[in-house]
Amino acid sequence: MKNKVLMGLAAVAMVAFLSSCGKVPQAKIDATNVAIDSARVAEASVYVPAEFAAVQDSMKAINAAVEVQKSKMFKNYKKIEVTLDETLVAAKKVQTDAVAKKAEVKKEVETLMTDTKAVIEENGKLFKKAPRGKEGAQVLELMKTEMAAIDASVVEAQGMYDKGAYMDALNKVKAAKENADKINGELKEAIAKVSGKKPAAKAPAKAPVKK
Amino acid sequence: MRMFYKWLALILGSAGFAGLLILLMVKFTPSPPESEIDFAREALSMAHRDKADTYSTKLYNEARAAYDSAMANWKRENNKFLFFRNYQRVETYAKLAAKRAGQATTTSQINSSSLKILVKEKIDSVNRTASEIDHIFGRYPLPSESRKKVANGNILLKEAEVAFYRSQYIQANSKINEAEFLLTTVYNIEFSDLKDYFKSLPVWKKWAQQAISESEKNKTYSIVVDKFSKKCYIYLKGVKKFEFDAELGINWVGNKRRMGDKATPEGIYKVVNKFQGKQTEYYKSLSLDYPNARDMERFKSELSRGSLPAWAKIGGGIEIHGGGGKGVDWTEGCIALTNSEIDVVYDIAKVGTPVIIVGSTKDLSLVLENDLLRNGNRQDN
Repeated sequence: MKNKVLMGLAAVAMVAFLSSCGKVPQAKIDATNVAIDSARVAEASVYVPAEFAAVQDSMKAINAAVEVQKSKMFKNYKKIEVTLDETLVAAKKVQTDAVAKKAEVKKEVETLMTDTKAVIEENGKLFKKAPRGKEGAQVLELMKTEMAAIDASVVEAQGMYDKGAYMDALNKVKAAKENADKINGELKEAIAKVSGKKPAAKAPAKAPVKK
Repeated sequence: MRMFYKWLALILGSAGFAGLLILLMVKFTPSPPESEIDFAREALSMAHRDKADTYSTKLYNEARAAYDSAMANWKRENNKFLFFRNYQRVETYAKLAAKRAGQATTTSQINSSSLKILVKEKIDSVNRTASEIDHIFGRYPLPSESRKKVANGNILLKEAEVAFYRSQYIQANSKINEAEFLLTTVYNIEFSDLKDYFKSLPVWKKWAQQAISESEKNKTYSIVVDKFSKKCYIYLKGVKKFEFDAELGINWVGNKRRMGDKATPEGIYKVVNKFQGKQTEYYKSLSLDYPNARDMERFKSELSRGSLPAWAKIGGGIEIHGGGGKGVDWTEGCIALTNSEIDVVYDIAKVGTPVIIVGSTKDLSLVLENDLLRNGNRQDN
C-alpha cells in the first residue's frame, strides 16, 4: 500500500514538472506584442528603423521558436521566456528611443524653421537696400520671385510640421533654408559691391511721362 | 520478499514499455522544417535591411506572404495530434519565402543602386540647366510665369538634393522630375523665343552698317544703339568715336508694339528735337521720330490681325536722355545714359542725326559666349 502511494506521488510530481515547462508563455508574448505595437504607434519605423526592425525580427524568431516547441512531445519554453524578457525590454527601449528621436527631429525642424524665417526676414530688408545697380533689375526680380517661392515652401513645411510629419518637414525646410541662404549671400555680395562706389546718378525728380 | 520481486518486475516492465513507447513516438513524430523557417526569416530580414520593401516591393511582399503562410500552416499542423501532422506545406512556403526574399534583396540592391545613379545624373543635369538659365537669362526680362517656374524649379532641385543625400532616392527622383520639367520647359521656351528674336539679326546688321556707311560718306555722326550689348555707339566718318553704357526699357527684348509695353523700339530713327534744363525731366534729351512710317504700318497691321487689343495705342516720346548710370533697365522705352555721357551726345547730335536701334549687332552665340545677357553693359567689346 505504501509503495502504491509513493508511485502515485511520483507520477503526480512528474506530470507537474512536465507541465511547468510545457506551457506557452502567452502572457509574455502578449506583453511583448503590445510593446512592439506601442513602438509602431510611436513611429519607430520612421525615427529608429534599424532598431525597430531588429525587435520585429526577434519577435518573428520567438514565434518560430514557440512553434518548434509546440511540435515537440516534451515542450520547454524556458529559453523562449528569457528571449521574450529581453525582447520586451528592447521593444520598450525602441519606443522610448523613437519618442526621443521624434522630439529631436521636431526640435531640429523648429530651429531650422526659426532660422529660415530669420533669413527670409533679413532678405526682405536686404532686398530693399540692394542696389538696383549692376546686378540688374531682372536679377532682383528673379530673386523676389525666388523669395516668394521660399516663403511658400516654408508655409508648406509648417503644414507638414503641424500634421506631425517632422521628417518631411525637415527635408522641406532644409531646402528652403539653403535657398534662402543663397539669396542672402547674393544680396550681401551685391550690396558689398556698390558700397564705397560713387552714388548712382540722381534719380529723376518725377516719373517719366512717356507714351 | 516474493511480493517485492513481483512489484519490481512490474515496475521495470512498465518503465521499459513506456520507454519503448516514447522512443517509437519520438521516432515517428514528424519534424517541423525549423532550419528552412530560420533561413527564410533571415533572408527576409536581410531583404528588409536592403530596403527591398521600398525598391523591390512586389518580391518583398511575396516573400512576406509566403513566410506568413508557412507560419500559419505550422500553427495549424501543431494543433493536430502528434502523428497526424504534416509539415510539407510549411517547408514549401518557407523555401518560397527564402527564394523570394533572396530575389528581393538582389533586385533591391540593383534598383536602388541604379536609381541612385539615375537621380544623381538627373540632379547634375538639372543643375546644369539651372546654371544655363541663370547664365543666359540672368538679366533677361523673363515673363513672370517663367520666373515663377524657375524659382519653384530651383526649390524642387534643392529638395531633391536634400532627399538624395539622405539616401531617399525615390523621393529625390520625384522631386528632380518635377524640377526638371519646370526648368527645362522654361529653358526650351525662352531659348527658342530668343533664337526666333535673333532671326532679325541680318536686318539689324544691315541697318547698323548703313548708318556707319552714311556717317563715312557724309562725314557726319551716326548713333547706333545695340540692345543686347546695352551699348550706345557714336560714329564719326564711319569710325567709332564713343561707346557708352545704355539703359533701356524694362521689357527691352523685342520690338516696341504699343504704348505702355515698356519696350525700346528697333528701327532707323533720327533726332527730331533737343531739350535741356527745364525742358526735360532727365537733364538733357534727344527726342526721336518714333513712331516712324514703318512703326505705324506694323502697328496697324497688328491691330487688324488682332494680335494687339483694339484699345492699344502706338505710343511715342522715345528719347535718348540723361539720368542713367543705374546699371539697370528701368525706362519706359527710352535709352538712358549718364548725365556726363548725354553731355557728349547732346553736343555732337543735331536735329536729323540718324539713330539706329537694333536688337543686336552680334550673333547670338557671341552674345552668349561673352555673357552679355548677364553682364550687359559691363562688358567691353
